[in-house]
Amino acid sequence: MSMRFGGRWWGLIPAYGWLILFCFVPLAVMFVFSFLSAVPLGAREVSFTFNNYATFFQSSLYSQLTLISLTMAFQTTFWCLLFGYPLAWALSKAVRGRTQGVLFLLIVVPFWSNSLIRLYSWVIVLQNGGVISQFFKLFGISVPGILFTYPAIIIALVHAYLPYMVLTIYVSLDRIDDSLIEASRSLGARAWRTFRRVILPLSMPGVVSGVILVFVPVVGAFVEPRLLGGRQSQTLGTIIENQFVNSFNWTLGSALSFLMLFVVLLLVILSAGISRLRSRAQ
Amino acid sequence: MKHLLRNTARVYIVLALGFIYVPLLIMMLNAFNQSRINQFPLVFDLVWFQKLAQNQRLIRATVNSLSIAAFTSVLATICATFAALVLARQQFRGKAFLQALLLPPMTIPWIILAVALLLTFFWLGISRSIVTLLLGHVTVQIPFAIIVISARLAATDRTLEDAAASLGSRPARTFRTITLPLMLPGVLAALIFTFAVSFDNFPISYFLAPAGVSTLPVEIYTAIRTGFTPEVNAISTLVFIVSAACALVGGREISFGVRSA
Amino acid sequence: MSKVTIEGMSYHYGALAAVDDIALTIKDGEFFALLGPSGSGKTTLLRLIAGFLTPECGRLIIGDKEMQHVPVYARDIGFVFQNYALFPHLTVEQNIAFGLESRGMPRSEARKRVADVLALVQLIGLERRRPAQLSGGQQQRVALARAIVTEPRVLLLDEPLGALDRKLRAEMQIELRQLQKRLGTTTIFVTHDQEEAMTLADRMAVLRAGKIAQIDAPMHAYEYPQSRFVADFLGVANTFTGTVSALENGCVVLTTAAGDPISACSDQSFTIGQALAIMVRPERVILQKGSDARERVNTLNGYVSYISRTGASLLIHVTVEGYPPLTIFEQNGQRDGELHEGENVALTWLPEHARVLPAESET
Repeated sequence: MSMRFGGRWWGLIPAYGWLILFCFVPLAVMFVFSFLSAVPLGAREVSFTFNNYATFFQSSLYSQLTLISLTMAFQTTFWCLLFGYPLAWALSKAVRGRTQGVLFLLIVVPFWSNSLIRLYSWVIVLQNGGVISQFFKLFGISVPGILFTYPAIIIALVHAYLPYMVLTIYVSLDRIDDSLIEASRSLGARAWRTFRRVILPLSMPGVVSGVILVFVPVVGAFVEPRLLGGRQSQTLGTIIENQFVNSFNWTLGSALSFLMLFVVLLLVILSAGISRLRSRAQ
Repeated sequence: MKHLLRNTARVYIVLALGFIYVPLLIMMLNAFNQSRINQFPLVFDLVWFQKLAQNQRLIRATVNSLSIAAFTSVLATICATFAALVLARQQFRGKAFLQALLLPPMTIPWIILAVALLLTFFWLGISRSIVTLLLGHVTVQIPFAIIVISARLAATDRTLEDAAASLGSRPARTFRTITLPLMLPGVLAALIFTFAVSFDNFPISYFLAPAGVSTLPVEIYTAIRTGFTPEVNAISTLVFIVSAACALVGGREISFGVRSA
Repeated sequence: MSKVTIEGMSYHYGALAAVDDIALTIKDGEFFALLGPSGSGKTTLLRLIAGFLTPECGRLIIGDKEMQHVPVYARDIGFVFQNYALFPHLTVEQNIAFGLESRGMPRSEARKRVADVLALVQLIGLERRRPAQLSGGQQQRVALARAIVTEPRVLLLDEPLGALDRKLRAEMQIELRQLQKRLGTTTIFVTHDQEEAMTLADRMAVLRAGKIAQIDAPMHAYEYPQSRFVADFLGVANTFTGTVSALENGCVVLTTAAGDPISACSDQSFTIGQALAIMVRPERVILQKGSDARERVNTLNGYVSYISRTGASLLIHVTVEGYPPLTIFEQNGQRDGELHEGENVALTWLPEHARVLPAESET
């Protein structure tokens, strides 16, 4: 007998129906289109083809772009991890109580404002004649703005995605019982050892989530490269955007999208596999 | 030794906060700077705010972003509430699968979701409109909302509903007086979270908005590409202050379950 | 206030029979305990009576109505949960009034009833507090008040004193019993603590693996257990196994494997050579220093292996060759002169104080 109200299965329909209709079906449609010669409109003749995917492998341009996107993602993730982990650790261990709450909020707050705004603020800082240039001019050193260079993109990306990394790592660090650390110390392990053997492994789930939360979106980033990288910087994301907005070669764009998806999926599965191997080895 | 470590950590936090906030502060300062090209030294002037008040385009875009965010967050939260209740209450075999189904919309780069929707609508002959824009927003919001509400439901004591029933309360009444009030913080958190997701969303708006409807992120994007209008400084500053205020107020009321309350 | 009858009720968790064909009658106004080790099915049975679970078969009759298909909210019961399940977002007053308001009682009348019941559990003055602001003992009383304010026909309690510390627990036991006597509500109480069951219950059912091992008044079950399980569960039982060697006017003598004769009084009939067990409670055994002449009935020689002094009493553990350790209970100050570990002692008891038990195999 159903004693509970609001638990009937049809409650799933609005949310999941929505997701099926507007997420999974479009993805499926795009997948099909990636194998077509053109978008089937009206009575137009279309044929099944592998051309779109072949283009990717034929032209070195695309593999280069994929490489750039992946490198970008790796670098961003690396810096986020490098700066984010100590920050998360400092936040969970070095401060307490009210300070901790306030600092935590401070880190999260920009995360809540518009990402374009944050991007824009970097444009101002990094441009020619921007703040950094002006700052160095005070010392008589002429430093050109580093806007429209690759490092600018990375800086902006790290700035945007750092909170994700910090948040997830913080959550898993926070869960580690202090008594575990004390136990390790009482057994004679010094700080570094304790970190390596106790803290690091236990915080791994947070690290893995953080890495995925940063890596995946960055692979598909096109706004940051376009705005901060200038004319030269093309990534897989910008090329896909191009297909849909400028070139109108939607079938190619579809294929490229799925290739990107595939690469991302591969890496996620790999990392999940690695973390499972690691936990089994322990 | 421990002191040294602790102080180093604190210094590090300050530096990190500096990295996060300095560009934003500079942008905000420049909103009050007379200089058109963000040149220091700072000459205080409110001219850009005045220009902003007359910039219909920017204002309309901001209003659009806010309304879209408000509308879609409510819609997404309602859908998510129903779903979260089912996921939390019932035990059935496909549950893990359903939970896994929430991952793709959250983790797939939004550009891919956006172009997939664009493609599908185009093929079906549906032209871009406010509706398509809203559809896209809600789609990416739903998984977040479900997760937030589910987390809150999971943390609620199951026996409370049993207790209510034992006291003679019929299921509908139990839902109204016990389940719903206890769920409310989660629903609120979902509303705020999805609002932020929508307000901040660039890819979906960029690809799915009809001509003539612009949102704030898109306007800033265009402004940066075509040439700076310092009014962007002004509007960005305003938006940032408001959203920061909301986050500070809201963050204190609702813990997302990130910190053990 | 009603009689509760259970007939042929069963409930399975997968392949495991949590409740296996149970039949039970609880009298109107009785304080009845369901006692057993964890996994015995006592909580499952309670939840079946409450309606949180639906039995696969069997009948539940409360008063004169069949209830096994009636939903929980229509059963007119009161339930006190192990974790109290107080509504965290409501005040004490609102918590207690919840059941009354669910039945449509007007606010003013409900208020009065709440005040009455708060006086009954001695919590006046705490109406406006939230559960989180109360101590464990106070929460427990609120949970109780909430369950009884609706004057239910049956009151069900699921190990409600488990979370309290020892002293508080003892106090609450007394209060609970007095409250129940005053209200006269039929009460069913689940516990794994045999002391608690014996203190509170008019009658109790000892459960084991989903079946009832014995239903009895507590002291009667203690003195006259019907199985080794019940004997061991309700206290310490010094048990001897052997085969029947003699039958003499109302007494049966068995000979253990070690060759000692043990006798007990019993009006059952036995056959010579039958396998049997006899147990005697530790407080019935008389301990004397030194050895005694062997081969007298109900007399054993051994030495003291350990003395456990717990203030008002002593538990003396004696090792006798050929038997598992025996336990003797003495009051502090009962004996002149000290007893020491290692001393040789002789144990003896009267056959009237020993009980016959079936010779079950150890499972």
